[in-house]
Order: sequence, then C-alpha cells, then structure tokens
Amino acid sequence: MSGWQAAGRNESTERIDIMNIQNEYLNGLMERVVKRDPAEPEFHQAVREVLTSLAPVANARPELIKEGVMDCLVEPERTIKFRVPWEDDRGEIHVNRGYRIQFNSAIGPYKGGLRFHPSVNESIIKFLGFEQTFKNSLTGLPIGGGKGGSDFDPKGKSEAEVMRFCQSFMNELFKYIGPDTDVPAGDIGVGAREIGYLFGQYKRLRNEFTGVLTGKGLTYGGSLARKEATGYGLCYLADCLLKDNGKSFEGATVVVSGSGNVAIYACDKATQLGGKVVAMSDSNGYIYDKDGIDLDLMKQIKEVERARIKEYAARRPGAEYHEGCVNIWNIPCDIALPCATQNELPLEGAKALIKNGCFAVVEGANMPSTPDAMDALQEAGVLFAPSKAANAGGVAVSALEMSQNSMRFSWTFQEVDDRLKTIMTDLYHNAARAAEQFGMAGNLVAGANIAGFLKVADSMLAYGLV
Amino acid sequence: MNNYAHRVLERLRQKYPSEEEYLQSVQTWLEMIDPALDDPRYEKLDLLTRMVEPERMVTFLVPWVDDQGNAHTNHGYRVQFNSAIGPYKGGLRFHPSVNASVVKFLGFEQTYKNALTGLPIGGASGGADFDPRGRSDREIMRFCQSFMNALYRYIGADTDIPAGDIGVGAKEIGYLYGQYKRLLGKAESSALTGKGLTYGGSKVRLEAAGSGTVYFLDRMVGSQGDTLEGKTIAVSGFGNMSWGVCRKAAQLGAKVVTLSGPDGYVYDPEGITGQEKLDYLLEMRDSGKDKVSAYARRFGVEFFPGKKPWEVKTDIAIPCATQNELDVEDAISILANDVRYYVEGANMPATTQAMKLLRLSPKVLTAGAKASGSGGVAVSALEMAQNSIRYNWTRSEVDEKLRQIMGSIYDASAAAAAEYGLGEDLIAGNDIAAFKKISEAMIAQGL
Repeated sequence: MSGWQAAGRNESTERIDIMNIQNEYLNGLMERVVKRDPAEPEFHQAVREVLTSLAPVANARPELIKEGVMDCLVEPERTIKFRVPWEDDRGEIHVNRGYRIQFNSAIGPYKGGLRFHPSVNESIIKFLGFEQTFKNSLTGLPIGGGKGGSDFDPKGKSEAEVMRFCQSFMNELFKYIGPDTDVPAGDIGVGAREIGYLFGQYKRLRNEFTGVLTGKGLTYGGSLARKEATGYGLCYLADCLLKDNGKSFEGATVVVSGSGNVAIYACDKATQLGGKVVAMSDSNGYIYDKDGIDLDLMKQIKEVERARIKEYAARRPGAEYHEGCVNIWNIPCDIALPCATQNELPLEGAKALIKNGCFAVVEGANMPSTPDAMDALQEAGVLFAPSKAANAGGVAVSALEMSQNSMRFSWTFQEVDDRLKTIMTDLYHNAARAAEQFGMAGNLVAGANIAGFLKVADSMLAYGLV
Repeated sequence: MNNYAHRVLERLRQKYPSEEEYLQSVQTWLEMIDPALDDPRYEKLDLLTRMVEPERMVTFLVPWVDDQGNAHTNHGYRVQFNSAIGPYKGGLRFHPSVNASVVKFLGFEQTYKNALTGLPIGGASGGADFDPRGRSDREIMRFCQSFMNALYRYIGADTDIPAGDIGVGAKEIGYLYGQYKRLLGKAESSALTGKGLTYGGSKVRLEAAGSGTVYFLDRMVGSQGDTLEGKTIAVSGFGNMSWGVCRKAAQLGAKVVTLSGPDGYVYDPEGITGQEKLDYLLEMRDSGKDKVSAYARRFGVEFFPGKKPWEVKTDIAIPCATQNELDVEDAISILANDVRYYVEGANMPATTQAMKLLRLSPKVLTAGAKASGSGGVAVSALEMAQNSIRYNWTRSEVDEKLRQIMGSIYDASAAAAAEYGLGEDLIAGNDIAAFKKISEAMIAQGL
C-alpha cells in the first residue's frame, strides 16, 4: 500500500520544495543529502518533509545536532544490493536486482516490508525504509526500520515462477536477516503466498523455525486479528481523538470510503462503538445506505464473492448506488474515515465535509488526503489524524506476531485485539503530547512525526557514535 | 484408497521392505485421511511423499565405557520428520528394540500428534538401542554424554527439541541437558523438555499426560450432553499415566475403579481417589517390582491374577499401559459391558483389529492416542514457551492452558469428522484435521 504513498508524493512535490526548513543546520544537511545521492528524488522528498517538521525539535534540543544524531538519521545503517537470477517456465533466464536497506536499529531489529514491483529502485526502498523507522517507533514496540524488495514483477508469473524467484531472492537475503537482526514482512507484490515461499526457503537454508518474517499463515506462526488490525486500530485511535475532544462514535453518522480489509473492519469497529456507517465505496462508485451498512452482506459481496459494490445496492432495499467515488464526501456525516487509496480525498471533498458539519477525519489508507485538503480540514478545526499514526495497527500486529513467535505461544483473538487497543491508545496520547510540548497542540501530523522521531533520537544519543 | 496414495505407499514398500512398524503406521494413516485426498494439488506437488518421509535422518555411533572399563558401541538416531508448523519436536527412546523403522514410525506419528495441539511444534523422534536397565548411574551418565556429543550439532531451541520417552526420564534428560549446555557454552534451556523443576522444567509436567486425557474425555462427554460426574472408569497400567488419570478424574467427579499390571488387575469399587491411594500408586511404581497386587493387599480390595480390567462393567475405558495391550477379546468385553466412552492414554494400546471393532461400533465413542494422549507433548511445548519468555507460569496457569488445548483438539477432530461425513469418528477426524493443517503449511512454504 505504501507504493501509493510514493505515487501520491508527486502532486505535493512543489509544495514541499518551497517549504523552508526552519533551522540553518538542517538546511545544510538537506543540501548534503541531495549532493551525496543526487538521483534519489523520492528519498530527498521524504527527508525534506521530516526535517521540516522536526525543525522545532532541533531548535529546542541543539545536542541532537551536536552529537550527530541528525546526520546519522538520514543515512541507512546498511544497504545490501544483490543479483537475483531465476529461470522461467520456458527455461529462459532472468536477472533481477534485490535490495535490503537496514535503515535504523536504534529501538529494535530492522523491520519493514519487501516490495516486488518493477518501479523498485534504491531511492524508493531508501525512502520507504526512512519513513518506516518513524512509523515503527510510534507503535511503542521494539522494532527498528528497514525495507527491501526487487524490481521483479509477479504479475503474469506462474506460481512456480514466483516460488523460484522467492527462493533465489532468499538464497541471498538469508545471510542478512534473522529474528534478532532484521524481520521482513510483505508489501506490494509480496502477500501471504510470497511470505510462505520466502519462509520455507529461509527455514530450509538455516534449519531453524523462527519468527524471521511476519505476515505468515496461521498454520505456521501467523497471528490472529491480522486482517482486522488496521481497521480496528484506526477506530481505536479515532475513539481516543474523539473522547479527548468531548465527542464519540456514539450516535455519530460515519462515512467510510473503500471496501477492502481496512474499510470493512473500520466499518465493523465503528459500528461496535455506536456509530452508524452509511456509505462505503470501491473503485467504480459508492453506496449510500441511510439505515446503516449491513456488514454481513458487505462481507459476503466483497470477501466471498469478490463482486462490485454495486451488488450491495441491488440486494439491500433502501440503499443507493452512485457511479464515481469522489462524491462520497458530499454525504452529510459526523466522522469520515478515508480507507480506500492515496489522494482520494481532494480539496473539494474536504470543503463538502466541512460544509456538512463533519467534525473528524481519520485516515485509514496511506496518505488519502491531498495536502490542500489536509490544510483545509485543519484550518476549519476538523479533528484530523494522519495515516502515519492512524493506520499503524497493521505494523503493530506484525510486531505482536514477533512477540508470539518469540514466546512460542499464540494469543487468542481477544488477547491480540486488547493489545492492539492499548497500543493505539498510547500512540494517540504520545503524538498528542508531543504536539503540545512543541507548541502545536491538536496538530497530530506534527505530533506523530515528533513522537516517532524522539524515541529513535534519544536511543541513538544513549548509544553514542556507533 | 486414493490412486496417488496407493502409489506412494507402494513406493515406500519397495524402498523400505523391512520397516514394518513404519509401513503399518503410514498405511493406517493413508486410509484414515482418504476422504480428504481429492485435491489435485496434492499429487502435483507430490505432497504425500513429503508427508510420509522424514525431512532428514541422522544416525551415529555412540561409544561409551562401562564401570569395568569395557567399551560398548550403540547406535543413535534422530529423525527430523517434519518442520512445517514448528521446529522438530519428539522424544528420545533408549531401548534395545530401537532401530530405523521404530524411530521413523514414532517420528511420523509424533508429527500428526503435535499438529493439533495448536502449538508451534513439528515432528521428530530419536533414541538409541541402549538398554539402561541394570546400568549404574555413572554408566547412564557416560552414555548420555556420548550420545549428546554426537547429537548436539543437530538440535537447538529453534531447530529440534528432544524430550524423553521409554528409557529416557528425568535423570537422562538432566545428563543430556548438562552436556548440551557444556558443549554449547550457553544455557539454551528450551533445547530439551522434560527438565527438572530446578533447571527449567514446567509445573504440571508429571501429571500432564493423565490430566490431558481426562480433559479430552471431559470435552467429549460434555459434547454428548453428558457429564463426568458419577461415572466409573476402567484403567489399565499403574504408571505415571494411570496416576494422572486417577487424580484428574477424581477432581472432575468421576472415579477410576481398576488398575492393572503384568500380574493381573485390582478392582476398587470405592474408586482410586484420595491422597493416600494416589501417593501409594507412585510408591508402587517407584518400587520397580512391576506388580499391582500390592495395591489389593494394602487397601483390602480384590485382585484378579492374570486377568485384564476390561471385564469390569464401567461407563468409560482408558487403556494407559502399553502398545497392543488390548486385543479383540477385550474389545468384545468392552462392547458387551456397554462402555460408552473409550479413550486411549497409552500409545497405540489396541491391536489393529480391536481398534477397528471399537471405532466402527455405534455403541461406544472412541478417541485415539494421537488426540487424547497428547497432554504430555502439549505441556512440553508449554515448557518451551516458558523457557523462551524466561519466566514460569503457575501450576494453575499451566493446567488451564492444558485444559484449553485438549478441548480444542477434541473440537478440531469432531469438526473434521463432521465435515467429511464421518459421523463421530474422532480418530479419522483427528488424522484429517492434522493432515489439513500440515499440508496447508507445506503448500504455503513451497518446495
């Protein structure tokens, strides 16, 4: 999903470039980053964005610069590039390139997804690894940041080809990973199937059955509540945000965009917390059901039949279907949970939400709001939680999968869910507190960046120059 | 039998013509899972071959010196059968009968027994053709050290975790672990289970096997809308397993009325309950006399020399002694006595024919050792968990987890039997559920 994050960046590039980092040293650091690796635009953007939001922290705590923390932070601890040769079903040889960037291990073993997609290059993996470091830190769990992948395109490949590729990829990667060193997970192009092949090969090469990868199947070490994690986590965080501001899900009208795992389980939890979800969407259009979504019917259509959302309106009396997605934001609601894709909530959508009295927007998808929409919502006083904080439930349950593997014992669904709730509650309060501490009370965007950064930075300070 | 399964079995017969125990257990298993074999992927991926043959097998010589200074050479084995759902796990057996066929058969059965505990453990077995009987403690220690000198490079907390079995009890595990720790240079306690309480063992381990069987029985009885309260139970044997069954059955309101030994059986209509009788069982076992008649003398109950306890009319029968202790005649007695629940504690206690008779009779609900006998290995896996978190659970925490695990094994077996139209055939249900779990994990992990 974070690939969309990369794509989504292009539109906001201009705005970020004119942003000034309010700290002279960090401006110089930014220049050095660009000069050292001039061909890495995605990485430059990510660094610029983070340094901009961290300028107030650097101003308040000059030792972070003096002790080299900021310089170390923008350089990966280790970058591994390797050849991945494999044979297709016709006997032809292909050679892809594999990457693993072990970005930061200050607070735990490197942890982050593997992406198999033709767009993968060093800049993209580096940018994703950099961002992963802060996101992981924010969960409060002992996981550092990493990212990896290959420019291999699994689309159109047979199962056997995918398996051979995964095995060849792991033949090199296994030397660099391990449950205490680096724990990869899935990302674009790496789902349950690829994780299974990668795990099988790692186990064969090392002769060890360990929690070296997450996103595993339930029969061989996966965690319960993984499917629900992001959607449930999103609502737990939203619940904290609402309560902190004298509101709640109770009796609120909720619009959820999307109809994938995040949207379905956000709808589920929002309903459990007393909200009424009246709309959901897919890439063709959206449905409006004023009586509240019948989640069993939605699951039947989306999870079992894998049909279009239009079917919902056809089977549910009183529900309407509308072509196109963007007008979903015109539906009057109290709470909006964009859970579909990047840039799905543009400025016009934000304006419609504001006009109809929406009081909270909490992002389930990766960067679903365009920068101008985000600004408009925050200026209008709408409670806003960015994806970096709000959708951390997914990676949190990955870390809980590691815990369960380490203790050789599985928690029940309820136990995982309870821990997820605690994690999201703590995450919200940490981000809110960090924003307040640096004079930006209520700004969770800044608060999330700062809180994630501080835990990593303080650990790096403690270690000295290593 | 499914055509592919048949060919797999034939190949095995040609390749290992002399391995009777192993071939027998594979054949029985293939017959049991037959209803679940109509997936074309299984043959395409040659899954069955990979499920009935071990992933790896290590054989090694074990030279050692006896107290008179004479050298002996034994044969050691470790069969790492299947690691699809966790590191290899299974017992070590020290007995003159140990050979490649026996350890392969044990490793195979262990794989499918471990699968349904819901804990992350694969399957393995091992041992040596060493006979500890009549050996001094020093000789046993020297043997264990030599055995571990060869074995240590193949095991480990994330790789393969041996435990005890026949001839390998707390004493041997202690010697084996001591040597492993010394060779490795670190206290990796979760590389062996069955350890003593002072160095990483788990509470409840002693009674785990017996308690587990009764917890399984409790869920089985409950599923019929029935209760253990007031039920009478016939038990064979008088070892650890029997003791654990007597103890837990009494706690749950039932009473065990028989015990047996090689010399015959005793009938205690009041029930083997209460601390005094339970303690005496342990005393009797530790005396090494292998006679149960002592119990009759001590508590003034009847002793039936040369007979088996299945002639007593009870509600429940639990064989806890040894393999093939229960033959067709005994099975007929059990059916004639209107026993309603037959639950195996020992490994493979019924002969093939006796088992068939019981399994196919609508009068008695039957559970096999692979399901109802897995309390011991379940607590072994809980011992690994406690070693991994470097923290010990209380007795009641371990006991409660054991109860949940045994209940879920029953549920999984019953659900699979129902799904494949096998009624209440818990034995086939258990094999199918375990097969499904392991095959899914193997397919997911590729070739």
